[in-house]
Formats: sequence, C-alpha cells, structure tokens
Amino acid sequence: MNLLFIILSMFLQHSGITIENPWIRNSSTGTNTAFFFTVNNTGKEADTLYAAYGDFAEVTEVHETYKKGEDMMGMREVPIVVIPPGSKVVFKPRDLHVMLIKLTSDVEKGMEKEVILKFRKAGEIKIKAPVKGMEAMMMKHK
Amino acid sequence: MLTLVAALFYSCSEKGEKVYSGKSFVLTDMNKKSITYPDITKGKITVVGYIFTNCPDICPLTTNNMRLLKEKFPRRDYPEIEFVSISFDPKVDTPEVLKKFAEVRDLDLNGWTFLTGEPAIISDLMHEAGIISIPGDSTVTPAGEKIIFYIHTDRISVIDRDGILVENFPGSSLDIDKAYREIIRIY
Ligand SMILES: [Cu+2]
Repeated sequence: MNLLFIILSMFLQHSGITIENPWIRNSSTGTNTAFFFTVNNTGKEADTLYAAYGDFAEVTEVHETYKKGEDMMGMREVPIVVIPPGSKVVFKPRDLHVMLIKLTSDVEKGMEKEVILKFRKAGEIKIKAPVKGMEAMMMKHK
Repeated sequence: MLTLVAALFYSCSEKGEKVYSGKSFVLTDMNKKSITYPDITKGKITVVGYIFTNCPDICPLTTNNMRLLKEKFPRRDYPEIEFVSISFDPKVDTPEVLKKFAEVRDLDLNGWTFLTGEPAIISDLMHEAGIISIPGDSTVTPAGEKIIFYIHTDRISVIDRDGILVENFPGSSLDIDKAYREIIRIY
C-alpha cells in the first residue's frame, strides 16, 4: 500500500506539490479533530489549497487558529491557502489545520485515515494519514 | 470596546486575590455527580483549565498540558493537588461528552475532575474567573446542526490551598517546568 502511494506521489510530482508528515489527532465519533501536514511546493508556480475532504467527517474545512488580544485564542475558516513556489507551508497545532467536523466514526490511534486535499493546479491529492495522540505533539514541540 | 470589557473581566482574577471572588458554584462532574466548586478542592492546590470539547486544537493542547503537568505529580507523592477542567460550553459539554473526551485521551481521572453545569452558573463562574468566550466562527452540518467555535481565553490557573490565585498560565502553550516549579514552591 505504501509503495502504491510512493508511486502515486511520483506521478503527482510534476505539479510540484507534495504532502509530508501527515497526521490526524485522535478523537471520537461526534466530535471534531484536526489534520496536520506540510505542503512542499517544489514547482515553479504557486498553487492554492482551496478545499479538503474526509469521508469520516460531516464537514471538512481549512482552518487557522489565531491569537486575539492578550491571551485569547480563536479559530476561523480560511478560504484558500497559497503555497508559493519553492516553499513549504506547515499545517500544525496552534496554526493552520484541516478541520474535520462531526466525525462519523472514531478516529483512534494507530488507524490510517484518508483525506483529500484539493489544489487549484495539482488537483486532488489523496493522503493516508496516521492517527496519533498527543505524543505526536511532543516530538514536534521542540 | 472588547479591551474595555476584557479589562473589567481581568480585574476579577488578580494574582494574590481570592479566585471567583470567594463564591461557590454547584456544578456536575463527568459522572453526573453534583459537585460544589471550588469547595471540593479546599485545602488542596488546584490546577484548573477552561475548555470546550468542540475545540479541535487549543483545548486538546491545554488538556494535554494538564496531563503532562499531572504526570509530574504522582498521586501517592502529591495527594494534595487537584486537577479540574471546566467547560464554558455547557449546552454541548454534557457529563457524557466530557467523560468521552477524557476517555479518548486516556486521562488518569484519579485527581482530575471535569465539570459542567447550568449555563447561568457556568457563565457566572467564568465571569469571576476572568474567562472570556465569544462565539466566533460556526459551521452548519448537513443535518442542520450548528457548531460554534469560541474565541476564548486560553488559560490554566494555579490556585493555592486558601483559594488564592497563584498564577495564570497560557493553557495551550504552557511552560510545564515553570508551572511545575510554581506548584512545588507552594506545595
Ligand atoms: Cu479548526
């Protein structure tokens, strides 16, 4: 299965967009969770992420967490995320994320879930993302 | 305007002062048990976090930071520290929802209580604590259910044995070592 994805992503390389380090935070049916990853644009043109889809959530949106005032945090939908050529955009906790709203099934540690990222130029990119608990944070925190 | 309101709120939770203006609140825990807070933590140090479970990013981080902090204080060595998570979205966060939230995260609930309650009581508590939660973005599911994402104060507070506020920490980006030292100092 992994090999298939390597081959698939090789085919997608021409667009210049690759997805690295994908992971989904564990959560249970009926709740929300977030999908994190890095978009690497090795191409010569900018590309734009405009939507995402996961069949295990009722709604999938591209979001960002933001700081408001001294010590408040909020979250809002972002219509598009532009990935400039030759750059990486990191979707990470307390920042950009793909929000999976109202999960229709449990998303448990050890599972792999498929999420589709929709780019204007690269088209739809299917990602198999491992589900991780908070320990995934620990490694990325430092 | 918001700053003004915020300033008013903040004045209610000054360091060195009694938290919640000395008030008590009858709430419900994740096991549907009636709990009078902060009375249940009287004589103990309290680490309290404010959350809502529909929050996918900040509140899981805050909760995880409380877990990491709690792991530094094994119950048998530090029986006089209580961890409390209080929801400011009580309509959604029923005891069942809170229980599931804790279960999914494998939290050690020995010494950790999740609380919810009547909206009016919760609102009073949050006001006294200086916790602001404003409905921000919302999403409507295909079934027509509206899910509200709050813009909220991101906070974990440490309260001493006499109910005096020791320190407010940023919840989702807690400096665990700093919080640890602060608790050790007053333990
Ligand atoms: Cu979000």
